[in-house]
Amino acid sequence: MKRLLIIIGKIIVKVLRLMHRNAGNLPGIILWHLSRHKAVSMFKVDCPIIAVTGTNGKTSVTNCIAQLFERSGKKIIINKEGNNLDTGICSLLLRHCDMSGKVRADYLILETDESHVPVVYSQLKLDTLVVLNFFRDQLDRNGEMETLIQKINGFCKTFEGNLILNGDDPNTARLGRANPKNKNVKYFHAEPYAFATQKIFEASEGRFCPFCGEALEYDYYQYSHIGKFICKKCGFGNYEPYITAKDIDLEKPVFTADGHTYSPKLNSIYNVYNMTAVAAAAKLYGIEQKITDGVINSYTVKNGRMENFMLGDRKATLNLAKNPVGANMTLRVMNEMQGEKELLFVLNDNVADGLDVSWIYDINFSIFERVTRVVTSGTRAYDIAVRIKTAGYDPANIVVRPDLDEAVEELARTEGRKFVIANYTAVQPTRSALKRYIAKHGGNK
Amino acid sequence: MKTIKILHMYADMLDLYGDSGNMEVLRFRCKKRGIECQIDKYSIDSDMPDFSSYDLVYIGGGADLEQQHISEDLLKCREGIIKAYRNGTFLFLICGGYQLMGKYYRDADGNDIKGLGLFDYFTVAPNSRRKRCIGNIVIETKITGKAVKVVGFENHGGQTQGIKTPFGKVLYGNGNCSKSEAEGYCEKNVIATYLHGPCLSKNPEISDYMIEYCINRGESEHIALEPLDDTLEKECRQVMLDRLLKK
Repeated sequence: MKRLLIIIGKIIVKVLRLMHRNAGNLPGIILWHLSRHKAVSMFKVDCPIIAVTGTNGKTSVTNCIAQLFERSGKKIIINKEGNNLDTGICSLLLRHCDMSGKVRADYLILETDESHVPVVYSQLKLDTLVVLNFFRDQLDRNGEMETLIQKINGFCKTFEGNLILNGDDPNTARLGRANPKNKNVKYFHAEPYAFATQKIFEASEGRFCPFCGEALEYDYYQYSHIGKFICKKCGFGNYEPYITAKDIDLEKPVFTADGHTYSPKLNSIYNVYNMTAVAAAAKLYGIEQKITDGVINSYTVKNGRMENFMLGDRKATLNLAKNPVGANMTLRVMNEMQGEKELLFVLNDNVADGLDVSWIYDINFSIFERVTRVVTSGTRAYDIAVRIKTAGYDPANIVVRPDLDEAVEELARTEGRKFVIANYTAVQPTRSALKRYIAKHGGNK
Repeated sequence: MKTIKILHMYADMLDLYGDSGNMEVLRFRCKKRGIECQIDKYSIDSDMPDFSSYDLVYIGGGADLEQQHISEDLLKCREGIIKAYRNGTFLFLICGGYQLMGKYYRDADGNDIKGLGLFDYFTVAPNSRRKRCIGNIVIETKITGKAVKVVGFENHGGQTQGIKTPFGKVLYGNGNCSKSEAEGYCEKNVIATYLHGPCLSKNPEISDYMIEYCINRGESEHIALEPLDDTLEKECRQVMLDRLLKK
């Protein structure tokens, strides 16, 4: 039966290829139905599997860990297109397996959606699970944060492989207690950076100890609810870090971990956490230090993550913000920049965005400085316009253009520095609209 | 200058889905009219406030875990809240705040979280955590005296029953129970609803109903509100009404 499913799956991949269609998800969806929802159970994987999950930073960390092994000369398989549900992973493995379903590689590095960790790894043996953070994101799809954490916690109760956890996020650190018998729990941690605060700055989860209900106490917050926390009653948060990022200086940017100095390309505290997770994986798998240096120091992101465009002679920076944490960080970066600027905010409410847009009220727009005009676009262009107006911004300076091409035209009409924020499904259409503008009016990317 | 006093309860704990945005909307609409809007916060460690000294008490929604934490504390406030409600303080309650004013909330494991019992309704969560009422919702309410369509977003497991005076009639979405006809609970000085969005963001008539109620408390002559330019808010709501109702 399994063999038959593999053959059917491979034929579907072939047919889609012949039709010049992307075989990213569809073969997996078909096999999911045929296999009674056990889409990855028919594969034989003998090599170690490393999975990366969490709300923010999955793609970055997955790519970097893959590079660690690739640069060490190993054969790896990675879900590069971000197809991170069981069906996407099934499609990926279909392309890399032989007729018996055997997958040949040295390592599988799989970005895995938070809600799909138990589904996928009850069928495939997992060597290491990296959990980055849990933020309020796409809540309506997953029900609630707590339900999501419970799901992964349930999986961790019987998991005996390596668990690399963000020790500064109580939502992820608690997974370290799910299976008291697991000796392979490793926490990564970061010392405070220059903008760490004593008080919490943005809306957040995880105020209470999940074990005894006591309010958690923080030495410092790095951003949102990420920081050094402890439960004074039961001691939750009191752990020995496996690896610690120290001497973080984002101006340069540099940080040290395990006595080794890194000079990453990206200057955000998020990136320091992501790269500390990468360094933890490198340490665990005994990667040569030279290779780890190369990966961490060269990593940079495209695809709408602080990506620069020239609209004629006007510089525009596009950033993806799929939740308040990401949007608040972009606003901080925008504010710290001298001179006047204009903002285009593109807000969609497609299924993958989460249908609920009320998260925009957790964005702190009152910190706007020297923002002379706001253009809004996307399927919920009016919602974001109303939100910015309610924060006290003069509605006379808000222009609503639901059509993206019109919005980009409107943004580029005036001189000066531009910022563009787009949520999840809005990013690629926004990039395309920016590129269309450049093709028509000049500039470059 | 006229002042309205609001008590925002458990702002640090019950703040899912942008519910604090409702306070931002009220403050904004007061400021535009030169009405001072004082918003005090109350949470678990605070001293017991004089609830009756407030024109409006607001409680938002939260995750199940957080609701358990606050229910005990809320019971300590019972006398004060009941007295204030009887004195005409407005109660504005969203989701979890709505549920906790009823008799009880029975969670997915069958455990009862005791409510304040101010109203007769009660809420039962389905056995499966997967069964939730999630999505855009449109209701029609007559609380302002005219029929007004209100757009929001619902996301609740709990099924609330035993309601005689709902906040509105469901035109799209679920309401108090799966696929039900009625949404929320209301009285002259109570709006209790599952609508997030936040609820007031694109429904200016509801905000103004509450503000008008508050500034007229204890006044012998009726004070009318100055109209505001709500073009963006109304356009925003219309986009959703067109999408959801005209299929």
